[in-house]
Amino acid sequence: MRGVEKRLAEFKTAGVRPVAISVDPPEVSRDLCKKAGYSFTVLSDPKAEVIRRYDLLHVGAGPEGRDVARPAEFLVDSSRVVRWVNFTEDVRVRARADEMLAQAKELR
Amino acid sequence: MPQERQSEESHSLPPVMPDAVESRRSLDAWWSLLLALAAMLCNVVFLVNPPVQQAIPWLSLLLAVSALIFLARGIKRVFQRPRVGRGKILSSIVAAVSLFLVSLVLITFFHARALPTSAAAPRVGQRVLDFTLADTSGRRISFDQLFAPAADDPQATAPKAVLLIFYRGYW
Repeated sequence: MRGVEKRLAEFKTAGVRPVAISVDPPEVSRDLCKKAGYSFTVLSDPKAEVIRRYDLLHVGAGPEGRDVARPAEFLVDSSRVVRWVNFTEDVRVRARADEMLAQAKELR
Repeated sequence: MPQERQSEESHSLPPVMPDAVESRRSLDAWWSLLLALAAMLCNVVFLVNPPVQQAIPWLSLLLAVSALIFLARGIKRVFQRPRVGRGKILSSIVAAVSLFLVSLVLITFFHARALPTSAAAPRVGQRVLDFTLADTSGRRISFDQLFAPAADDPQATAPKAVLLIFYRGYW
């Protein structure tokens, strides 16, 4: 997400709005945004309702065995159609901003 | 050098070799430690999110396995020549540290890859479900509202797409 923040202007030019989602409640996300300097939208799904509906729930993987979202990225157009998706096989390997930006630029 | 030791070696190794063998044995432990440290360092590389990062978990695994091989070789040499003197304690400590690091690397490797399959997750061409979630100020935002032009910029146009980034959270 640091890479996304760094290239936010480029995402904007490409007409793509980055939105991050996690189980963290708004205050925790606010803390993160403040500390990491994120200015894009960060949404909270504390009950993991959306995360569960997207089949991204990673049961017991959070602190104290809490359920969290597995890392995943979706590029979704205004008619809600998925244009690109990325599921990592290793939590340490995350989609790079330039990869996502290249996909964003390919949108018409 | 005790008489007993020399005679014991005489049928397995040439009598002039013990020092060389011993230094090789302790080097095994050091090599193992070096490889284990390199395997550990692989995890730091992820912080910079490099282009070839998909290969890094495998590199760390390879380094960890190589560290184990050197460790096994070192231990085998100790058992072959149980009565070695100098350097035994130090190389045992080095070997133990190496084993500890290798265990950490292996645990991390399997833990990091134990992800749900997400078989029912939306795929390319599929339509995602609508949602409404709170932002950092607690304001509820629906999926469609994400496509509204930025309010703080009068020249802003509506985004063509949103990039949904699901992440594990901040802890």
